[in-house]
Amino acid sequence: MLLAIAWRNLWRNGRRTVIGAAAVFMALVLSLLMLSMKYGSLEQMVSAGVNQVGDLQVHSAGYFENKSIDHAFFDNKNVDVTFKKIPEIKRVVPHLETFSLASYGKQTKGIMVSGIDPKLEDIQSGLSKKIIKGHYLEKGDEVLIGDNMAEFLKINVGDSIVLLGQGYRGITAYGIYKVAGIFHLPSLQMNSSLLYMNMQDAQSFVYPYQKGLLTGFSIYLKKTSQLKAVQKQVGKDLGKDYEIIPWQTILSNLLETVATSKAGTQVFVLILYVVAAFGIFSTILMMTMEKRKQYAVMVSIGMNRGRLVWMSILETFMVSIIGVVTSLAVASPILFYMHYHPIPVTGNLAEMYLQYNIEPVMPFSVSPYLFISQTSIILILSFLSALYPVIYVLKFNVLNAFRH
Amino acid sequence: MSIIQAKNIYKVYNETHVPVHALNGVDLEIEKGEFTAIVGPSGSGKTTLLNIIGGLDLPTEGDIFIEGTNLKTLSSRQLIDFRLHNIGFVFQAYNLIPVLTALENTEFILELQGVSKKEREKRAMEILKTVDIADKRDHKPGQLSGGQQQRVAVARALVSQPKYIIADEPTANLDSKSTEELLTLMKKMNEKFQTTFVFATHDQRVMDKARRIITIEDGKAVKDETFER
Ligand SMILES: Nc1ncnc2c1ncn2[C@@H]1O[C@H](COP(=O)(O)OP(=O)(O)OP(=O)(O)O)[C@@H](O)[C@H]1O
Ligand SMILES: [Mg+2]
Repeated sequence: MLLAIAWRNLWRNGRRTVIGAAAVFMALVLSLLMLSMKYGSLEQMVSAGVNQVGDLQVHSAGYFENKSIDHAFFDNKNVDVTFKKIPEIKRVVPHLETFSLASYGKQTKGIMVSGIDPKLEDIQSGLSKKIIKGHYLEKGDEVLIGDNMAEFLKINVGDSIVLLGQGYRGITAYGIYKVAGIFHLPSLQMNSSLLYMNMQDAQSFVYPYQKGLLTGFSIYLKKTSQLKAVQKQVGKDLGKDYEIIPWQTILSNLLETVATSKAGTQVFVLILYVVAAFGIFSTILMMTMEKRKQYAVMVSIGMNRGRLVWMSILETFMVSIIGVVTSLAVASPILFYMHYHPIPVTGNLAEMYLQYNIEPVMPFSVSPYLFISQTSIILILSFLSALYPVIYVLKFNVLNAFRH
Repeated sequence: MSIIQAKNIYKVYNETHVPVHALNGVDLEIEKGEFTAIVGPSGSGKTTLLNIIGGLDLPTEGDIFIEGTNLKTLSSRQLIDFRLHNIGFVFQAYNLIPVLTALENTEFILELQGVSKKEREKRAMEILKTVDIADKRDHKPGQLSGGQQQRVAVARALVSQPKYIIADEPTANLDSKSTEELLTLMKKMNEKFQTTFVFATHDQRVMDKARRIITIEDGKAVKDETFER
């Protein structure tokens, strides 16, 4: 019967209840739309990052902290076998990276040599589509360099580049390679200091005496939710000579940026919630004032204040739950529609997106976290608003309430 | 033993600011089955006395015993519970719960007492029939006349078979026909169930029906008459 009284009390003055619920509705719908858009583009950024570095990276222990070629290891096939046994793994991309000096004519520059499997790399990052001059890696002793590096070294497609660097176990790495193509990637740093070559070439550049030297593997998973499990499994199988680094650690800077950006939006959204809180609170305030006499009658005839507290809490929550349910009913279809049919980005912006290997669309997030967090904020606000009637109900003087 | 026993009751409002001495040493005993009116000029302390008898307020000095229980010794929670199980209330302004139907208003007390749904519906219907308002069981107070509302209020006060019922000016808002009907009804209940009624009233028609009239003036009981009727 408490529930019935609470519910019917709401509709005694339906317009006011609707105003309170509408404040919640407005705040929640707007904040969901705004945050969904924001979260969506951030999620897009993160997934582009993960696409680049892999869900997990395997190195020999210590490499992540100190990226020296001396932390390289020989791919003795054990590692491959381990990966093959784990069905959750979609793809494994090997890496060999080392610092080197590159010279052409009178120019010399410090660069990063990256050994890749041309096919795998192309599948993973679409590198062949980023070549702006010349062609993609086809045969041995060829390299790809960035446009800024080519400009600096005054080198062109077809010219030979001389590399001199630190090899494995203190040897000197040395080689002459033909520039097959010049690429343009989104980052200036990559364009001015990254050089790609065939994995076999890179391996013999760094250590010609034994095949199979690597600095690491990037592991791509079928489902990101399996990250923890696979990380544990790989760690167990490979033993303590290897380190398994999740993308969250590798991209920790990006994640920090994302968190800051989310927080910034949330602050703006807070303003909406102040409106919602005001709406709920004023509704509740008026409802309580109006029911002073009803409450007084109930306590006079023997209803204890504890039950009355429950009743007033119910009333408050019903107002906000009406707001929450209607907002979710309105906002979720929109968000899900936008999530599956994102707004296309056009023009220069679209090009920039493509350079970053990001699909040129504005995605909307439908992450459960979004819904849960925003709904919880509303519920917390209603809880705070409910404190007013609760305190009133616990404290009011029955006879004074009758005299009003 | 009397149901209600008030011993040397003083009530002072606003003790700290401008004290109002509403009751100045009232002694009173009410026996089971009485049909008693408390009368007196406006401001004489009728409502104050009734509130103390009804456990809605406590005396500043003196003691109020209900069948031997000193209400002053109860915690505020216990006092609410005591009212629930022992006292029925009829207010001047009917004061039904506006969102509940006549039947639900009557059932409400029983629900608070924890009576099962079936049992309380049965008892509520019975009492609504007795006060002759059963046909309006599904009407909300807003859809009932003042007299009808007051009959539902009497039903609500009676349904839990309390030891006594207090009614502060129950007829003040009623026309003479409704007043007549309500008084007849309460008298009938008084005779049928031996329920004790205590009124505060200005209404001559109530006094005419009362078997005992206590007159208070300036917070003192100045006259106490009994009548055979
Ligand atoms: N809560 C209160 N605070 C201060 N003074 C009060 C309070 N309640 C009643 N009084 C005062 O106490 C005195 C007695 O009031 P009470 O209401 O008991 O009179 P009454 O006999 O019921 O009058 P009426 O016939 O007008 O209803 C009056 O002077 C009144 O102003
Ligand atoms: Mg009075």
